[in-house]
Amino acid sequence: MKRFLLLAITAILTFALAACSNGSTAKTNSSNSEKSDSKNGQTSGITTTIDKPVTIEFWHAMTGHLGETLQKMTDEFNNSQENITVKLVSQGNYGDLSKKVMASAKARTLPVMSQAYEDWMTQYIQNDLITDLTPYVQDEKYGWTDEEYNDIVKVFRDANTWDGKLYGVPFNKSTEILYYNTDMFKENNLEAPTTWEELRNAAQKLTNKDKKVVGLGLENSIGTSFPTWVRQAGGTFLDEGSNKIMFDSPEGKEALEFLNGMMVDGIARLAGEDEYMSNPFGRGDTGIYIGSSAGIPFVSQAAEGNINWSAAPLPKGKVGATSFQGTNITVFSSATDEEKLAAWEYLKFMTSKEQTVFWAKETGYIPVRTSALEDPTWKQYIEENPVYGVGQLQFESGFYDPRPVGAFDMKNVVSKEVQSVLLGQKKVDQGLADAAKGAQDALDKAK
Amino acid sequence: MNDTPTIGKTLKALLYLAPALLIIGTFNIYPIIKSFLMSFYTDYDYFKDIVNERGLSNYSYIFQDPEFWLSMKNTMIFVIGVVPISIILSLGIAVLLNQKIKFRGFFRTVYFIPFVTSVVAVSIVWRWIFHTQYGLLNHFLGFFGVSPIKWLSDPQMAMPALIILAVWKGLGYNIIIFLAGLQNINQQYYLAAKIDGASSWQRFKNITVPLLSSTTFFISIISIINSFKVFDEVFALFGGQPGPANSAQTVVYYIFNKFYGEWDFGVASAAAYALFIVIFILTLVQLYVGKRKVNY
Repeated sequence: MKRFLLLAITAILTFALAACSNGSTAKTNSSNSEKSDSKNGQTSGITTTIDKPVTIEFWHAMTGHLGETLQKMTDEFNNSQENITVKLVSQGNYGDLSKKVMASAKARTLPVMSQAYEDWMTQYIQNDLITDLTPYVQDEKYGWTDEEYNDIVKVFRDANTWDGKLYGVPFNKSTEILYYNTDMFKENNLEAPTTWEELRNAAQKLTNKDKKVVGLGLENSIGTSFPTWVRQAGGTFLDEGSNKIMFDSPEGKEALEFLNGMMVDGIARLAGEDEYMSNPFGRGDTGIYIGSSAGIPFVSQAAEGNINWSAAPLPKGKVGATSFQGTNITVFSSATDEEKLAAWEYLKFMTSKEQTVFWAKETGYIPVRTSALEDPTWKQYIEENPVYGVGQLQFESGFYDPRPVGAFDMKNVVSKEVQSVLLGQKKVDQGLADAAKGAQDALDKAK
Repeated sequence: MNDTPTIGKTLKALLYLAPALLIIGTFNIYPIIKSFLMSFYTDYDYFKDIVNERGLSNYSYIFQDPEFWLSMKNTMIFVIGVVPISIILSLGIAVLLNQKIKFRGFFRTVYFIPFVTSVVAVSIVWRWIFHTQYGLLNHFLGFFGVSPIKWLSDPQMAMPALIILAVWKGLGYNIIIFLAGLQNINQQYYLAAKIDGASSWQRFKNITVPLLSSTTFFISIISIINSFKVFDEVFALFGGQPGPANSAQTVVYYIFNKFYGEWDFGVASAAAYALFIVIFILTLVQLYVGKRKVNY
């Protein structure tokens, strides 16, 4: 009996020890980064060289076909490299990814690279978690030429730049576009709307109480797209420099009144219980749907056998404005110099013209390089699949989502208040004022 | 059997308990203490684990936050809506299932199935049942001339929809407990009552209800505590948002949002403790009432 007890105690202790020692392994290979001398005698720039195998992890949230495509591209990269191996680690959806990055930042077990939205990156930067990539961009040996750098679409470059420093490269970028049901449009002799007025008229004509068709469908995440409507009305949503909410203005009111007017008249609806608008649109419950271009595969799946559809750029208000969404790839500063350099090689590969075209073709995201738009493969592809070419038409009017710390809370508040107005719980003025106040509080608190 | 306790025996007992204690300690006790401490962190560097300032401002923040009060209100509505309905319904069904009816085993299983099915799966089905245009429920109500109700899209209807789902989901568990309670009641009471000519309603009122009171008491405590903690039903039923225009935001949803959305650990912990206090007080009240009313 005694022997058994001893054995049991030993076993338990072993478990406890094993559990404790897990965290310390991550640091082992960090010390040899400084040893590698610069071989070509450069005085400045990147002096690291990679002469032994490096394996780096890339955490992502790409599932299904997106994940397979990413794997294919990564395999190609790995095959092209002598020493660098990129290991993909899928972390579920974006929410899961964000949580895991936060948790591993605390546990000091961060990967080398991860997908990240701009507002996450703001927070990472404030906590010194991610690396300034500018030295890599500017490096003579490893970097980009000015031409290569400027070839990245401007709105994506800007979105990844804080105080003149580049902290990430654009990866899976999407934008809002207008989907429309071509059968219904033909029936009513309509053309794709290009202005707010035309949008309203079209929604009015398409609405059919007997057939239970509502003209225009909007996503539940109206708080995320509200900045677009404010901009289109000629207003400003947020002044990023001073972190001041600006949408409680005549323009903001105009935007909300425009949306609410259509809701009150019953010619527009939110996705509501359907969660995303792609399904109701695909069933033919709405004639127009404003939503992300990343939803193209979902729309075509839902529409299969039900309706014919196409897509067009967003209608203009006073001005044209479209926000670009989606994540970037960022490199964590906890990585060793070799790992960072390896990551940079991977980033260069992923944003190369060939790869971004391949990615866009497979997934419906937008190519991140201007030169890619002229690429014959891409041109031919969008000729055959015109809806995939709609997003890039909006680069000129493109802007990126507000990215302050506290953006999550801010979007929640705006979403809630805008929904309250559109669902008839609050008057426009009240909702707008409450949204602005709540959003400002959210930003002030997060600072 | 009754050994005298010695140090050696206590140690031995501890050893047997060690695995359970280790798990409970790590995943229950430690978080409870830690989150209590965290609720006082007012300036906290999460990444470096440095607390710059402690204070009560997290508590004053939540008490001034209209979102918190909205969540509290919704949670109260949820508890008041779910617990009584669920107890009455499940007691009724349990009494029925306790009779000698055909397919008794089958029905007992059927009623228990919702409880063992994943909330997410169940919620997806209910999303279709509640659907305004295509839902079964509205179709059914249509026979009685009720015009389609926007169960999930109308902020007014979100809480009722949530309550319906929760009542349905919780029935099975309550029924099983009630059944066990019913079978513990000595049949002789019923036989004696029958001889005295008591109607079935009288028998139910004067024998079943009082003798079942300890079971009812147990269920009411468990249901109230569980209802206060409602989260996954909300998350799944409304597709990851707390109802249209936050109309079904509950306290745990609020905590979740503060913790995992805004990374505001102090406020999240403070809200968790506020919820804890509410549940604690209510349970004390119940225990007090229970002592006077329950027959053991």
